[in-house]
Amino acid sequence: MGFGLACCAIEMMAASASRYDIARFGAEVFRASPRQSDLMIVAGTVTKKMAPVLRRLYDQMPEPKWVISMGSCSNAGGPFPTYSVLQGVDKVVPVDVYVSGCPPRPEALLYGLMRLQDKIRKEGTVLRKERTIMSGDTEPTLNSKRFDADGERL
Amino acid sequence: MQTIIKFLKTILLIDLVKGMWLTMKYTPQPAFTFQYPAERRPTAPRFRGVLRLQTEPATGAQTCIVCDQCAKACPDDLIALGGHREPGQKIKILDYFDFNLSRCSFCGLCAEVCPTKPIKALIMSEDYELGSYSRDTQILRVDQMYDGVEIEQYTR
Repeated sequence: MGFGLACCAIEMMAASASRYDIARFGAEVFRASPRQSDLMIVAGTVTKKMAPVLRRLYDQMPEPKWVISMGSCSNAGGPFPTYSVLQGVDKVVPVDVYVSGCPPRPEALLYGLMRLQDKIRKEGTVLRKERTIMSGDTEPTLNSKRFDADGERL
Repeated sequence: MQTIIKFLKTILLIDLVKGMWLTMKYTPQPAFTFQYPAERRPTAPRFRGVLRLQTEPATGAQTCIVCDQCAKACPDDLIALGGHREPGQKIKILDYFDFNLSRCSFCGLCAEVCPTKPIKALIMSEDYELGSYSRDTQILRVDQMYDGVEIEQYTR
């Protein structure tokens, strides 16, 4: 299910056009309904108003399901550390692959899709370990200097 | 006279044809696809990919002078770097260079403001394949800045 919200949605559309075909990787149909899809690509800036809607659609997807976070805005809030932007979509849904870029090239999205297929091949679909949501405050932190391995500020 | 021309333009949809001319030019041409993992589309010369630190090609010496301009230029404060000066030397040695890839919008301001010549220390490379499994692998340290992010080679 392509959850296209902003500029990354255009690159997602470009990836499904004829020049960089996403149908070659088995991801041809972009269903509008979450009940019939098993992958959700969150492309674009998720605001705090949209976050419950996103969670509701994620809950309506049947297992097994995966999430690709496409672009900087859904990875970590992007260049918008403001009061209305959710700083990373992994605060509401568990994300499997993070594709970086602003917006990521269509080839980069295809690369992220291939990495997800790799992950599925290694992990399997039936018995999967618990995926966690990175909870924490949704307020923006610009304290991104000098991280340690957990992403905490030194 | 003008009303007749306007009327004809409305009937014959001249504006629509003018707008759709580019699309219709592509319609009879066959659709081509870049077979992505096997062949990659060449990027433009000034393409802004992920950041890389460069070394001198001959000696492998450090080119960064730890002036902190890139950290100041970043609109989101995503770069943190530090170095120390050896006693008796003029050049600072780079200790750490942390770059937070998760928020980067690839604007290129950091690479643009880097003052080193003739080989610029901080450049935007051509790599765009940046899929990662977790958020902490998106903080790039010094080794990854020099060598580049590791990319799984998918060939099929």
